[in-house]
Amino acid sequence: MLDVCDVTLASPCHWPQVMESALEGTGKEGKKESLKKRKMAGSPGEGLLQPVKLSRAELYKEPTNEELSRLRETESLFHSSLLRLQVEELLKEVRLSEKKKERIDAFLREVNQRIMRVPSTPETDLTNQAWLPDGVQVPVHQVPYTVKGRFHFLPPAQVTIVGSYLLGTCIRPDINVDVALTIPREILQDKDGLNQRYFRKRALYLAHLAHHLAKDPLFGSVRFSYPNGCHLKPSLLLRPHGKDERLVTVRLHPCPPPDFFRPCRLLPSKSNVRSAWYRGQRYCAALSSHEPPTPHYNTWLLQDTALESHVQLLSAVLGSASGLKDGVALLKVWLRQRELDKGLGGFSGFLVSMVVAFLVSTRKIHTTMSGYQVLRSTLQFLASSDLTVNGISLCFSSDPSLPALADFHQAFPVVFLDSSGRLNLCADITASTYHQVQHEARLSMALLDSKADDGFQLLLMTPKPMIQAFDHILHIRPLSRLQAACHRLKLWPELQDLGGDYVSAALGPLTTLLEQGLGSRLQLLAHSRPPVSEWDISQEPPKHRDPGVLTLGLILQPEGLTSVLELGPEADQPEAADFRQFWGSRSELRRFQDGAIREAVVWEAASMAQKRLIPHQMVTHLLEVGMGCGALAQAFGTSSTGEEALAAAVRCYDDLSRLLWGLDGLPLTVSAVQGAHPVLRYTEVFPPTPVRPAHSFYEQLRELASLLPRPDKPCPAYVEPMTVVCHLEGSGQWPQDAEAIRRVRAAFQLRLAELLTQQHGLPCRATATHTDVLKDGFVFRIRVAYQREPQILKETRSPEGMISLRDTPASLRLERDTRQLPLLTSALHGLQQQHPAFSGVARLAKRWVRAQLLGGELTDESLDLVAAALFLHPEPFTPPSSPQVGFLRFLFLISTFDWKNNPLIVNLNNELSVEEQVEIRSVFLATRAKLPVMVIVTPQDRKSSVWTQDGPSPQILHQLVVLAAEALPVLEKQLMDPRGPGDIRTVFRPPLDMYDVLIRLAPRHIPRHRQAVDSPAASFCRGLLSEPGPSSLMPVLGYDPPQLYLAQLREAFGHLALFFYDQHGGEVIGVLWKPTSFQPQPFKASNAKGRMVVSQGREPVMVPNVEAILEDFAILGEGLVQAVEARSERWTV
Amino acid sequence: MVARRRKRAARESDSGVPTLPGYSAIPIKFSEKQQSSHYLYVREHKVREGTKSSWPQKRTLFVLNVPPYCTEECLSRLLSPCGPVQSVKLQEKPELAESPKEPQSKFFHPKPVPGFQVAYVVFQKPGGMSAALALKGPLLVSTESHPVRSGVLKWIRDYTDSVPDPEALRVEVDAFMETYDRKIAEEEAKAKEEEGVPDEEGWVKVTRRGRRPVLPRTEAASLRVLERERRKRARKELLNFYAWQHRETKMEHIAQLRKKFEEDKQRIELMRAQRKFRPY
Repeated sequence: MLDVCDVTLASPCHWPQVMESALEGTGKEGKKESLKKRKMAGSPGEGLLQPVKLSRAELYKEPTNEELSRLRETESLFHSSLLRLQVEELLKEVRLSEKKKERIDAFLREVNQRIMRVPSTPETDLTNQAWLPDGVQVPVHQVPYTVKGRFHFLPPAQVTIVGSYLLGTCIRPDINVDVALTIPREILQDKDGLNQRYFRKRALYLAHLAHHLAKDPLFGSVRFSYPNGCHLKPSLLLRPHGKDERLVTVRLHPCPPPDFFRPCRLLPSKSNVRSAWYRGQRYCAALSSHEPPTPHYNTWLLQDTALESHVQLLSAVLGSASGLKDGVALLKVWLRQRELDKGLGGFSGFLVSMVVAFLVSTRKIHTTMSGYQVLRSTLQFLASSDLTVNGISLCFSSDPSLPALADFHQAFPVVFLDSSGRLNLCADITASTYHQVQHEARLSMALLDSKADDGFQLLLMTPKPMIQAFDHILHIRPLSRLQAACHRLKLWPELQDLGGDYVSAALGPLTTLLEQGLGSRLQLLAHSRPPVSEWDISQEPPKHRDPGVLTLGLILQPEGLTSVLELGPEADQPEAADFRQFWGSRSELRRFQDGAIREAVVWEAASMAQKRLIPHQMVTHLLEVGMGCGALAQAFGTSSTGEEALAAAVRCYDDLSRLLWGLDGLPLTVSAVQGAHPVLRYTEVFPPTPVRPAHSFYEQLRELASLLPRPDKPCPAYVEPMTVVCHLEGSGQWPQDAEAIRRVRAAFQLRLAELLTQQHGLPCRATATHTDVLKDGFVFRIRVAYQREPQILKETRSPEGMISLRDTPASLRLERDTRQLPLLTSALHGLQQQHPAFSGVARLAKRWVRAQLLGGELTDESLDLVAAALFLHPEPFTPPSSPQVGFLRFLFLISTFDWKNNPLIVNLNNELSVEEQVEIRSVFLATRAKLPVMVIVTPQDRKSSVWTQDGPSPQILHQLVVLAAEALPVLEKQLMDPRGPGDIRTVFRPPLDMYDVLIRLAPRHIPRHRQAVDSPAASFCRGLLSEPGPSSLMPVLGYDPPQLYLAQLREAFGHLALFFYDQHGGEVIGVLWKPTSFQPQPFKASNAKGRMVVSQGREPVMVPNVEAILEDFAILGEGLVQAVEARSERWTV
Repeated sequence: MVARRRKRAARESDSGVPTLPGYSAIPIKFSEKQQSSHYLYVREHKVREGTKSSWPQKRTLFVLNVPPYCTEECLSRLLSPCGPVQSVKLQEKPELAESPKEPQSKFFHPKPVPGFQVAYVVFQKPGGMSAALALKGPLLVSTESHPVRSGVLKWIRDYTDSVPDPEALRVEVDAFMETYDRKIAEEEAKAKEEEGVPDEEGWVKVTRRGRRPVLPRTEAASLRVLERERRKRARKELLNFYAWQHRETKMEHIAQLRKKFEEDKQRIELMRAQRKFRPY
């Protein structure tokens, strides 16, 4: 699909047609044209939006009633017609088709019959399970094994379908049909609610069923699972045989007959698991006086009894209102994209349906509302309410026997009671999961309110995997350590309540501990447990520790990100003891500048990279002190991230600009000094280090105070001067002629060099266009600029004497270098102050693109802007605050953004209003054909996208997209791997098998050899001293043989081939012949370059002189080139 | 590699050096070591009757496909056996006239990186040109006696050459500005002289000088005036005053919605084609 689109983009030959038809006038012909065009747009190969042009007659015909009402409905019920169409499409995609429904119904009828035909068994003791055949295992852990009661199997009293399938709110791709099997009353005994007896019977019931159904050829697979993650309540999964296996999963849930349990026994304050039974007889005496309540256990019992009443409630509410059903389906998609609905304690689709039902009952949602409105109101409710404090209830009776909400708040973190008033629907949900839901709802509401153009896309179509959503990811493993932690924290009642699930038991104390410890640094703490996988009926059920890992995600407040100090109470306060206990050995008494003596914890972190890891340090420490278990921190840390070096360079630049401001003796005073180099916006991949040249390494040119490279030595270190633009005050004295202005500027450059040397003793070197200044080992390149110069270059005089301004290549270049680049640099400099992670993200992103050998095609600035977009438009995420998260999102953005039909709007300083953005988009659509492939719009550059004017080409962009799409899952997997990320460099190594010719370079002449992705163990001396020595000689500037070589290659053979190289120490240049270059061409004086004449038939035609060219590669790079590897099997002349 | 060699051998045995009507081909190599060569395609420089060309007829050789490492001096040396060479000019593409400008300043117009170029070689005598046409190479650009630098050595020399001499630059700038100032002064003097003097049709040019100049004759200025006028008119107009105006506004609204709807439909169509509605 992508390929096809790309081909069409690559050949702009049909764009003029489009333009023509767009310019077509009104009337009948116009109408025909537009119809044709729409068809064209509809054809799948097109892939490009065109401006719509409706004829006048079509636009202004009398509206029909139907049309009017649809338009009005769209206006009132949906945000815009686009949103309405999008929602409709999405629902179409996730809904079950009628045809499939019929097939499922047929399957369900079969299932029903088979279940009823399962034979019954004689009665035995619960503990006597010898009657169970060999091929099946009881799907619960029977700990402790001994339990009273007797069991025999009888076919279910009733088989009912419950859940979303019945309501029509189930969504693809995995369709589950929940079937409730009512266990006949004869099987159950009076006190089955006690001591897991009911759950044991339930499991045995399923085991017997499973054994018989597994023999049936109707079923493709018969397996057990814990659908909600609850280890006491397995269910049986049935899938049809044959090609329908993927179509549907039927889940069988046994449930007790109605009114079997007495509701008053199952209140959250009651105990139904006896300590004496659970912990053995030894504890009997000590604990018999006080039995701990078992709220979760009670809830699980209640859940089974309420299956049917819930479905009745939901079908009563959702029954006839299609808008509500749409809304529920949308909400389910929303939850799933955020990975909120999974496993035990997930915010399931059922729960969200109940929330909708609640909102209908409180009249916040009306049954006539559209799906979009339901989604919006529900999100609004989730964002604005707090169920951890003010629980809600679907029960409106004022029966005094019902328990109060406060009772539930005591037992559960989140409270949402069902219509019976006794069952907490949110019993399994932890506070942090609920807070995560709240957080997501708030973000989504902000997104909907911001009227962003593609809110739909961001809200419902963008997945938010944990690794991209959270700043820090921590894995706790192995999980069995949590069992020890439970013992240590004496969580016996919880374990008893949860049936021994120590992960759930420890989760609450763990999150509380971390929340307390991280305190104000923390914005959101989330945890994710991998869902328990289903298992074969002949296997033992999985253990609590089997998922292997508990993953924590942290989103931190930007302020608290890097502070090294944790301030405690004053030493004489009573809280000080608590503080000391909480932090353990890390807490120490400190005296502060204001004289206070306080308890405090100080974290060691020297560099920015280490500071970023402080939360890891804290979490690890807290877990060790508080829980006695270690966590494995996941970080992208490298030994040095160079942020300090960048800051040093910027400080030096600040000093220089102060010197420039204060310079006296210039004919005009300096009006502005602006940085225009990646270093000065913190996005240079490898920050510059102060240069201290060893003079013996160089040829010395004393009279010009310069060092020169020597042919007999390795290439000297690469020093890139940092460009600084220096504006001079306006004056009428400037000449009005372009050539003369250049001379005057040159005179200023000379004068500047003279003055800087005289007044501040800085070594300088002036040329016609710039002055190089050596300051503290950093080299700056000062360019004097005259504000009116671009305008003068633009002026053309018409024959009538009217002066008009027309862009010329020279004026555009000058404007870009002296106006737009400094503006961009200062805007991004500002962004870095707001978001400290920006620098890291931009540099990682650039490093990656260059490592893929594509750095030559994409400008520095365009990549910086893409990185900036991640911070300015983070929706649906929050702005990244760690480099690796930002880098992942960069890969995601690159691999998914539709460059063909959208400009990437980077709203620097928030200067563009919503209306302006809409305007920009429509202008974009209208002029798409003239714009570059990749369009990046900033407030300073609304139309032309200067930074992507010269590339990438469509093919290169496509290649980039493909590479990013490949790298993203690999990197995500590596970073989420609990055993450590492994070798992150994998995604940075470029594939080399696609190139036709490889030119191997000699490391001796690669000055940046050490910057390679796989840094060489040994490289050459580059003529630098480690000790600073006073030097007044200008070091070798910008001398990079591979770049010079590339420039020559591109100039000589750019019409035949593309050259790819990683400027950071790459040892190989990839050459790709252009697909057209081997086609024989008729002779023309202008295309003889590098070609030779051969006779084809009788006609003389030109083909590239490949052998000679391959030898030229070696000649042009004599000394640098080690070998030219031609993979001649890849092409034919 | 083997296959390629065989192919090349076959090609060369077919026709010797492949030729082109009107041109003769001269093989050229960088040095003895190279196995295969590029071909210079040369012919006499001729122009159609009436076209002006600054290259002298009969003596000028037009050379195509000059490799990047071959400089003007090189070419002159290689062709001098045919007869004394007067001048060699390398250009990016064929141009009839010799570029008229005076030699450009090396400070303000740095030499571009060379690719494959065309050359006009002017011999002192017509005989040199005809001898060159019959030349059978292969020519060697770099020989023992006249080595040509390439690669690292060339870059180091280029770097050395690029280190500027501020004094020379200053001298050049001063010289240029002097001539420029003189030129401006002359123009002004001329303008002053002409002030008030009618031209041959009797028109007198009047220019206003002073602190408040008149509107400049630029496009931007005239656009600005038009815009101001338009705004003034818009302010005076009444909105929805007449019933028909009201009706039209409503109709316009519906038309806008319809247009938007069409656009949206198109976008949806496109997204559907790209499978943009698969949520996961």
